[in-house]
Amino acid sequence: MRFMLLFSRQGKLRLQKWYTATAERDKKKMVRELMQMVLARKPKMCSFLEWRDLKIVYKRYASLYFCCAIEEQDNELITLEVIHRFVELLDKYFGSVCELDIIFNFEKAYFILDEFLMGGEIQDTSKKSVLKAIEQADLLQEEDESPRSVLEEMGLA
Amino acid sequence: MSDVVEKTLTALPGLLSLDSLPGSNKLSSSSKLGNLIRGITELTSKHEEEKLIQRELTSIKEQVSSPNTSMRQMKELMVRAIYCEMLGYEASFSYIHAIKLAQQGTALEKRVGYLAVSLFLNESHELLLLLVNTVLKDLQSTNLIEVCMALTVVSQMFPKDMIPAILPLVEEKLNHPKEIIRRKAVLALYKFYLIAPNQVQHIHNKFRKALCDKDPGVMTASLHIYLQLIEENPEGYKDLTTSFVTILKQVVGGKLPMDFNYHSVPAPWLQIQLLRILCLLGKNDQSTSEIMYEVLDESLRRAEINHNITYAILFECVKCIYTIHPKSELLEKAAKCIGNFVLSPKINLKYLGLKALTYVVQQDPKLALQHQMTIIECLDHPDLIIKRETLELLFRITNAQNVTVIVDKMLEFLRINKDDYTTIDLVGKVAELAEKYPLIHVFLSFGGPLLPENGKKIVKYTSHITTLLYMLK
Repeated sequence: MRFMLLFSRQGKLRLQKWYTATAERDKKKMVRELMQMVLARKPKMCSFLEWRDLKIVYKRYASLYFCCAIEEQDNELITLEVIHRFVELLDKYFGSVCELDIIFNFEKAYFILDEFLMGGEIQDTSKKSVLKAIEQADLLQEEDESPRSVLEEMGLA
Repeated sequence: MSDVVEKTLTALPGLLSLDSLPGSNKLSSSSKLGNLIRGITELTSKHEEEKLIQRELTSIKEQVSSPNTSMRQMKELMVRAIYCEMLGYEASFSYIHAIKLAQQGTALEKRVGYLAVSLFLNESHELLLLLVNTVLKDLQSTNLIEVCMALTVVSQMFPKDMIPAILPLVEEKLNHPKEIIRRKAVLALYKFYLIAPNQVQHIHNKFRKALCDKDPGVMTASLHIYLQLIEENPEGYKDLTTSFVTILKQVVGGKLPMDFNYHSVPAPWLQIQLLRILCLLGKNDQSTSEIMYEVLDESLRRAEINHNITYAILFECVKCIYTIHPKSELLEKAAKCIGNFVLSPKINLKYLGLKALTYVVQQDPKLALQHQMTIIECLDHPDLIIKRETLELLFRITNAQNVTVIVDKMLEFLRINKDDYTTIDLVGKVAELAEKYPLIHVFLSFGGPLLPENGKKIVKYTSHITTLLYMLK
């Protein structure tokens, strides 16, 4: 996979992960072009696009568009399922995920993405093990945070 | 006094509330990031957004450079910096601090630091060298989560020249008792192989061990490396064909733990990797192909459920069957499969069916004829992508009888198409056809409606037109 983008219907970027080294201004240009193209598609149309020398696979979940760019020889249908798998993982992790969850906790969305799409290749691991890995890291963080007394939180001590 | 107590008491439930799901920690929405996001959504113009972000970035810059900023605050600043960069604003002053955060932070801070690094930097960035020491340290940590974080970052980007320094550490992780570490180590090695193949020459036997690993996750990870190796040198790995066939048999037969099922299909991505590998191994090689016929037949049969993922597996299967040494029963079944795709009302499947037809039409032109009514229908499909794909297919089955019609359809498409790449590609095809079957009227069409809008197009079109002119003289 070359890159994955998540953006809203209004054209606001929510997540971007690039699996190849690309210059900043190229990235911006590509993102802009792609968003225009995908947002112009009507609902009954094919989920696959051809753009430059890449294939674009996209799917809309509520107000968010998930968009992946894959190479010529990759299988489009499987990429559609990769997107679906990612959404399933987010849903399990956040509990009925909505766009706001992804917006305000985007670093967590990135952690999940990295765990299951490492280096751009999908890891066919069980859903449980991906979420377990993330949860273990989460727990580690909670153990580490030193407990602050309630009064301190309120600024009274 | 009493109202202070009251305030404390009313605030207690909120502060002490424990969310049962670790992920849905809604605390972030009241954080500075939350405020920033809310601030942006309230603005109406791009100009205002720019002003707000620039203010934000200046504030972040001040705080990251201050020596009093704790790692916890730094983590929060990095998240905001990531957000600003995502919106397209440059925050390169924060890169070095991301590295520092990964180095000095603990747990979540380190995690965010590594995340920031993976988002900000890329392979060729000079700052990446500074990360190497941190990664080396974390790889030797007793805390397994830190090892995982280090391996995750390494499998995304690593400076080529520093591979020898880290290679022995990663290699030793291949024998780690925890499967997640073994898996990540394999992926890190895959990355090394991609950027510097000769550095990992000496450990190919370790990959074999990973292939036979009892954990399916590790085994799947090793397939990425094998796919790459086999693509470059299929001859060298023919001896592994039986192993791959056995694995695929086991997967299709449902021998993997239930966890790996995706919508009741066992490990689909694994199946597809294996099918690709088998495809490469069986190409132009009858004896190797014979080993795989049985399992391909089995895969075709099993993948009959109505779900996108099974169609994906079928597609790979069909591709494989048509690439390796032909076997008539399998070809028949595969042809039926393609037929089902093309006739399907689901637009994505139609697209795949057309693609598959394009792929097999050289070997089996009758198949395209069988479905020609559907193909002709697709020509007038409202979705441009389907139209494009149909034209691709038609291009491959042109003969003296149908060439005029096909070229006309292509020209018609060129008139409504807006994408440069497609236009250039199609114009090339038209010129090629016009060369094979001299078509005077094509030249006339070219002069007319295809008036190009900018200089680049003109150059491309004129070169084609001059070719045509030359032939027609």
